[in-house]
Amino acid sequence: MDSQNLAYAIAQIVHNFGAVAVVGGAACALARGDAGTQRKLAGLVLAGWLTQVVSGGTFGAISFYYYAKFPDIHGVAVAALIVKVVCAVSGFTLATWQLLARHSEVSRRYSWLAMSGLGMLALGSAAVLRWFS
Amino acid sequence: MRKLSMLVLVLSSIAAPLAVAAESKIDISSPVDGAKLDAKAQNKLDYNITLGGDGDHIHVYVDGKQAALLRQMRGSYTLDPLAQGNHELCIKIVNKNHTPIGVDRCVKVTVQ
Repeated sequence: MDSQNLAYAIAQIVHNFGAVAVVGGAACALARGDAGTQRKLAGLVLAGWLTQVVSGGTFGAISFYYYAKFPDIHGVAVAALIVKVVCAVSGFTLATWQLLARHSEVSRRYSWLAMSGLGMLALGSAAVLRWFS
Repeated sequence: MRKLSMLVLVLSSIAAPLAVAAESKIDISSPVDGAKLDAKAQNKLDYNITLGGDGDHIHVYVDGKQAALLRQMRGSYTLDPLAQGNHELCIKIVNKNHTPIGVDRCVKVTVQ
């Protein structure tokens, strides 16, 4: 088996599970309104965004390991990558805020709506990044 | 004898990707290196690619700036209008993660 493709595949698997955590976690939190469950889901979403950042960076690291070069992306792909990074930073911040502070139900709901939007935006940007360069 | 055949099998499986990678090839049939192009004409880049190894698709560059991502391995890419002067047209084979695998071909042209 080609070790390079295996490395990319493992990074992709981890990245995909991170995506499930950020989108699924936020969707579940919107469906389940109690503070206790939402706090647990905030931890899941936080871990999901962290996973996204680390596995996303791993794609570049694998390229650098095998070719001493990073992926050659321009234009639309760079814009999509920037959107993903902004989503990850914002999602990470919001999830931390959900986890550490106590909020009213209304502010929690808006926060989860924002995190859902960030997750979906990041997923959409991932598709653009995959097929453009 | 059996151990020897196993050794040959293992070594050939390790060497195989290297051998395939060596087959990666880019041919730019037109324009040729040093060609003079007409600024008013619709100029095309005619190419023929053998991906080999870890290659997945190609990136086309004009003066170092990426102009296109192509998945067709043989064809003709219509260049955007080029300003008068010297230009460099390049094709690089990249992997699935858009990383150049180290196989590229460039031609220098003069547009007048």
